Amino acid sequence: MRYLLEYAAARGMLCMLDRMDLAASERLATRIAGFWFLLHGMRRRVAIDNIIRSGITSDPKEAQRIARDSFRHFAVLVVESLKSGECFNEQNWKDRVRVDINPETMRLLEDPRQGIILVSGHFGNWEIAAQLLSYLKPVAGITRPLDNPYTNRLMESRKPRNRFRLIPKHDTDALRFLKILRNGEMLALLNDQHARREDPLVDFFGRPAHTHTSPALLHLVTRTPLCFGYCLRTGPMQYTVHAGPPLHFAATGNREADIRTILEALNRLLEDAIRLHPEQYLWAHRRWK
Amino acid sequence: MTQQEVIAQLRAVMKRSSKARVDWDAVQPDTKIEILGFDSLSILDLIYDIQQEFKLDFEAEEVVAIKTVGQLADFLMKKGA
Repeated sequence: MRYLLEYAAARGMLCMLDRMDLAASERLATRIAGFWFLLHGMRRRVAIDNIIRSGITSDPKEAQRIARDSFRHFAVLVVESLKSGECFNEQNWKDRVRVDINPETMRLLEDPRQGIILVSGHFGNWEIAAQLLSYLKPVAGITRPLDNPYTNRLMESRKPRNRFRLIPKHDTDALRFLKILRNGEMLALLNDQHARREDPLVDFFGRPAHTHTSPALLHLVTRTPLCFGYCLRTGPMQYTVHAGPPLHFAATGNREADIRTILEALNRLLEDAIRLHPEQYLWAHRRWK
Repeated sequence: MTQQEVIAQLRAVMKRSSKARVDWDAVQPDTKIEILGFDSLSILDLIYDIQQEFKLDFEAEEVVAIKTVGQLADFLMKKGA
């Protein structure tokens, strides 16, 4: 019953969004985010605490402002992700998107036989990033389905896909990552969520956090170029897609040390990006459990 | 190395990476790799360990079509094991 009620609420929200233009949708989403920020004490406290302990600011008022803006940014992200199919297509996407991709990385993206591992975080608009990059190369991302199967199916059906597909986190095909890279696709991984206890502790903003090893391991065993990138929101449905140069790390025989070297490098790149635009990061996640 | 020697070495390497309870002594050339308890992460650990243990340079994507332990051993022998 709870699932059905949630599904009904989600359908209602989506119907309302469909009838509103982008500006009105974003105004509504921003207001809802503001209320959510006030009402959801636990997430608010997590966000503020994370911002202060990351050294972004030591001023509690400034931390609260960034946290609130982060909630609003996330609400706008949802709206723009759901409406992006109306705005972007293969012919017009560069009208609204500035492409800031390293030339060597761009050559890899334009080679249909070359797989690439793109690592990012919950920063900017990661949903639209995948859609936009799929205009350059087919993209595969990993997803954990929502607990509510009705809402999950609804949200999946609404997301614009182009050449962007999502594969379930717990897929039984052990070779799926290798097949994606062999097919010349981009494997897009968000590597800033709390990982398993058995995953290594790697500093993120100076504090150890369990970090997923898959991007590092994939790079080491396949030697597929590894790249860090993100998609920064610069205005309503306007973005800059950044991707740095391909990163290359050699296996030394010490698997744990090799993995740590790569993950530390990726974390530093994400930290540097977040420091420039902290309001576009998902601070409410309990990264340092 | 013979196929048997390669398989013996593979058993030891696989035992380290697999999460499943397997009777590794019973692993034979026709044993399917998919029943040996590897998921999409531990299979990467396995490939890394194989590359280091056998000191072989190969693209991990080359193993995508391999189904059995015997096929894996033959592949490694072709690569110089």
